[in-house]
Amino acid sequence: MNYHLPAILFLLPLFAGISMPLVCLKNRHWSHPISLAVLAAMAVISVLNLHSVIQHGEVRYMFSGWTAPLGIEWVADGLASVIMVLLSVLGLLGVMFTGPTSPKALGGRIVHYYTLILLLISALTGIVFAADLFNLFVFLEVAAISSYALVGVAGGKALFAAFRYLILGTLGASLYLLGVSYLYAVTGTLNMADIAEKIPALLGSKALVGGLLFIFIGLGIKMALVPFHGWMPEAYAYAPDSISPILAPFVTKVALLAWIRIIYWVLNASIAIYDIPILLLVAVLGALAAVIGASLALAQRDLKMMFAYGGISHIGIILMGIGQGNQTGFAGGVFYLLNDAVMQAGLFFLAGVAFHQYGVRTIDDIGRVGKQAPWFTGSLIVVALGMIGLPPTGGFFGKWYIILGALQADNYVSVAAVLLATLLTLAYFVKLFEAMFRKTTTPPEVQFDEIPLSLKLPLGITAAAVMIMGLLSSPIVQLLLNQALPPSL
Amino acid sequence: MVDAVFAVFQRPNFLTFVIIFLWGFYIMITRYNLVKKLIGMYLVQTSVIFFLVSISAKKGATVPILLSVTEPVQAAGYANPLPHVLTLTAIVVGVATQGAGLALCAAIYKKYGSLDEQKILERIE
Repeated sequence: MNYHLPAILFLLPLFAGISMPLVCLKNRHWSHPISLAVLAAMAVISVLNLHSVIQHGEVRYMFSGWTAPLGIEWVADGLASVIMVLLSVLGLLGVMFTGPTSPKALGGRIVHYYTLILLLISALTGIVFAADLFNLFVFLEVAAISSYALVGVAGGKALFAAFRYLILGTLGASLYLLGVSYLYAVTGTLNMADIAEKIPALLGSKALVGGLLFIFIGLGIKMALVPFHGWMPEAYAYAPDSISPILAPFVTKVALLAWIRIIYWVLNASIAIYDIPILLLVAVLGALAAVIGASLALAQRDLKMMFAYGGISHIGIILMGIGQGNQTGFAGGVFYLLNDAVMQAGLFFLAGVAFHQYGVRTIDDIGRVGKQAPWFTGSLIVVALGMIGLPPTGGFFGKWYIILGALQADNYVSVAAVLLATLLTLAYFVKLFEAMFRKTTTPPEVQFDEIPLSLKLPLGITAAAVMIMGLLSSPIVQLLLNQALPPSL
Repeated sequence: MVDAVFAVFQRPNFLTFVIIFLWGFYIMITRYNLVKKLIGMYLVQTSVIFFLVSISAKKGATVPILLSVTEPVQAAGYANPLPHVLTLTAIVVGVATQGAGLALCAAIYKKYGSLDEQKILERIE
């Protein structure tokens, strides 16, 4: 039974999503509870899956029993299983949050909206587990097409942002496919483990270098790495408030996960191509992304725009951890990835509540929320502490391990970049809090309603998770060091 | 230099791929009309699919269905079926993307009354 858990995790949201328009044909109000139930079941199954992977080691799932190089293979190793748990739990919170905030204009189409959410989650599951380059491409595209539709679902400004996202995302996917066909032409296989065996003999090949370059640029566009990040802030900022918290934590991060898989599991990470060590390249790109993303966030006044640029900067910090090429840096990078997913979800929940409940879009208006909103203000402070990286939160320990890894690798540029990005993050949150707690002479004129429980829960749980991941940082990092390290480290 | 030029003409399929890809990319970045952008995107996708098909072409090979079950299989006599299957999947993905793109275009046209990127940007302001 445990062997089939990865496939069940994928098939559950897929079938629920596809059958949703049929099941909810007569009664569209069923779509929300059904999605909640599916995601709750996924959360339980993903925890079982993680437990079984820790107990019995990684699962290599062969579809229809065809063995690896011929058939399609999925790998549920420690890394994939840990990320899967987080994906399903944050997905559950996202769907919970979607209930009261979903766009009113949708009417009967709300059923298709939940179909798209479930398809997106099943595609993300596929990317997390896929051990086959072409399989990865298909899931990347399913996830991307669902997100284009979800970004544009409410109309308005979001339509144009969604169109831009579609054009750039498809360009990225085409480049990725081009790279995969290069690798297929050189190695004659698409299975990651199989390619990894054949690569050492082919290191001089120009086709290999070209293919890897195209794959990296393609996935770079998908993960909003700094020179290619143009689509991301507008798409996340103009997307409906109920959708941003589902897109933000994972759509860019699974592309990053695919990149990590290709660098460490397909290539041996320590190789140099034309005398340039790839890991150095990753660390430098990460440093650029971290600093530039945070500086751009500082210039924003729209809350969601600011948080989206914050996400771009954090992708850079994760890459710096991955790029150190030692165990501490890798575990730190993955731990930061987990924290960042929670924090991004939390930030976009907050932005959604700010608009839905208090009518606040920009930091110019946020002053009027003030003391009336204990849940909002409290969780904003906790998540902000995590984003800045102050001690009791998970963000601090993630950055701590990344800096330790960078010091072990004598990579002082990365240390400086992490510190600089931290200072810039501090600066934009100080800007936010300054606007929030500024003493206003006029008393608040509006009395706001209490936040409904289905909005309180996501806020409270993400804020608590930021703290708990900090308090449990040592066992989690130990788990990552034991279970999630690539074979070459 | 001359060798390099000749080497390019040795592989007309690569040349065709590069031309179609860059053509599509050029349309995507220079045209303001959204539907033209989608056409450029379609050319880019098609060029990659063309590349995938062309590298798997094989002279003197037949369709991958066994000619005889009794004799040992001669792999050299059959075309590799995998790239064609991949191509089929990639075409389906491309069609789905185009569908989503055209739906967005239609919604943008309904909302802003134009398909010209600059006019839309003016009306968004």
